[in-house]
Formats: sequence, structure tokens, C-alpha cells
Amino acid sequence: MSGLLDGIRCGECDCNVDWSEKRNTVASIAAGVLFFTGWWIIIDAAVKYPTQEEFPHSYHTCGVIATVAFLMINAVSNGQVRGDSYSEGCMGQTGSRVWLFIGFMLSFGSLIASMWILFGGFVVPKNPIVYPGIAIFFQNAFIFFAALVFKFGRTEDLWQ
Amino acid sequence: MAGIKALITLSFGGAIGLMFLMLGCALPVYDKYWPLFLLFFYILSPLPYCISRRVVDDTDSASNACKELAIFLTTGIIISAFGLPIVFARAEVIAWGACALVSTGNIVIFATILGFFLVFGSNDDFSWQQW
Repeated sequence: MSGLLDGIRCGECDCNVDWSEKRNTVASIAAGVLFFTGWWIIIDAAVKYPTQEEFPHSYHTCGVIATVAFLMINAVSNGQVRGDSYSEGCMGQTGSRVWLFIGFMLSFGSLIASMWILFGGFVVPKNPIVYPGIAIFFQNAFIFFAALVFKFGRTEDLWQ
Repeated sequence: MAGIKALITLSFGGAIGLMFLMLGCALPVYDKYWPLFLLFFYILSPLPYCISRRVVDDTDSASNACKELAIFLTTGIIISAFGLPIVFARAEVIAWGACALVSTGNIVIFATILGFFLVFGSNDDFSWQQW
């Protein structure tokens, strides 16, 4: 028993990692958690309320569009938009800006549409079951923030 | 010999995790075998990282879009492995106790897989920062 705690060192163990170098990894993990949590929320709602009356199936559209917007936003690197990458794509800087603009527009649009569905489809008509609307809203919010984290949480110029 | 010890420890962890999974399925109180679909997630979870490591040679830059996409997909598979039993339990396909057991098994098995990559991912002494 004597000297049992002698080996404990505070703050200088090997697990003391440098978080600034792991920023991209942490951002990727956070984006993955947000994105897939959003999709599992909507899967849960669809499993709980499968009928057309409780949860109209057309309401899944805005989640799909948010996912497409997620792919569009993250398919273009920041260097392409700023124009300081080594190779221009097939459409150059303007094309990537237009592409990114459309992606963010779809992303914001799906977020707004999910709020609209929550209030216009479930809250205002005094629907007894509000949970699908909340699920749609949270799905789109999570996907939106996942897109932002995956786009802006990562740095792409660590070698400079 | 360190490799052998780590291998034995990790296989013990994997066995414990699978034991939790099978308990969640096969206890006479629960007796529903739906959570066995999680085995697909266990098999799929190391794949993106292995593929990205084979595709790109991570020698220089800390920013690596392919590797980050692989980490994103791996996180998605892990989240799915936790989401599936919760959805099963909410849909009253399995009991909540089985969901808790299966989630515990998830934690153990993914920790084992992570341990595999931490121990055997660095196959050389200078490339210690694979993750």
C-alpha cells in the first residue's frame, strides 16, 4: 500500500494530446455525429408514425434536400472559392462560387421549410401528434449544423 | 511480446462486447434477435478508414480531405449502431433493457476496434500519430 499513488503525474501523461493538430479530426467527428443523429431522429419518427395521416410522407423532402445541400457545400473546397488553389476546376472560381451559393441556399431553404412544416403542418392546425414536426425540425437543424461544422470547422491550409 | 498481450486483451474485449450483444438478444426475458443486425455495423465500421489509408499516403499534410471523409463515415456508422437499438426499443420491437445491454456491447466493441487501430495501426515506430 505504501507509495501506491506515487506514480500518478498530473498533466504530463501521454494522453496529453495537442488539440490544435487534431482540429480536422474533431470537426469531422462532430459533423458525423450531428448528421447521422439527424437522420436517426427522422427514422425514429417515421417508425413511430408510419401512416400518411399522422406523418405525411412528402415531409421527408426537406431532409433529403438538406442532405443534397450538405454534399454540395462540402464538395467544394475553400481554396477553390478564394481562387488560391493550384488548379481551377472545369468552371473556375465563378462556377464554384455559384455552386456554393446554390448549396447554401438549399441548406437555408430546407431549414426554413422544416420550421414551416413544424408550425404550418403540426402546431397551428392543433394536430394531436406534434412529434413528427419536431423531428423534422431537429433533423434539418442537425444536418445544417453538420454542414457548417464540416465546412468551416476544418482548416485546409495547415501546411502553409 | 507486447503485440501478443495487446492481441489477447483486445480479443477479450471483443468477446465481452459480443457477450453483451448476445445477452441483449438471447436472455429469456427479451428473446428477440433483431439486434444482431448490428453485426453489419461492426464489420463496416473499420472499412472507410482502411480504404482511405490505402488510397492516400498520409506522409506530409495534416489536412487530408479523404481521411476526414473516412472519419465522418466511420462516425456515422458508429452513430447508426447506437441509433438502431434505440429505434427498435422505441418501436417496441425489443425491450429497453435489451437496448441498454446492446448499447453497452456497442461501447465495448467500438472501443476494441479503436484499440486495434491504436495498437496495430502504427506498424512502425515513427508513425505513431495515425489518428
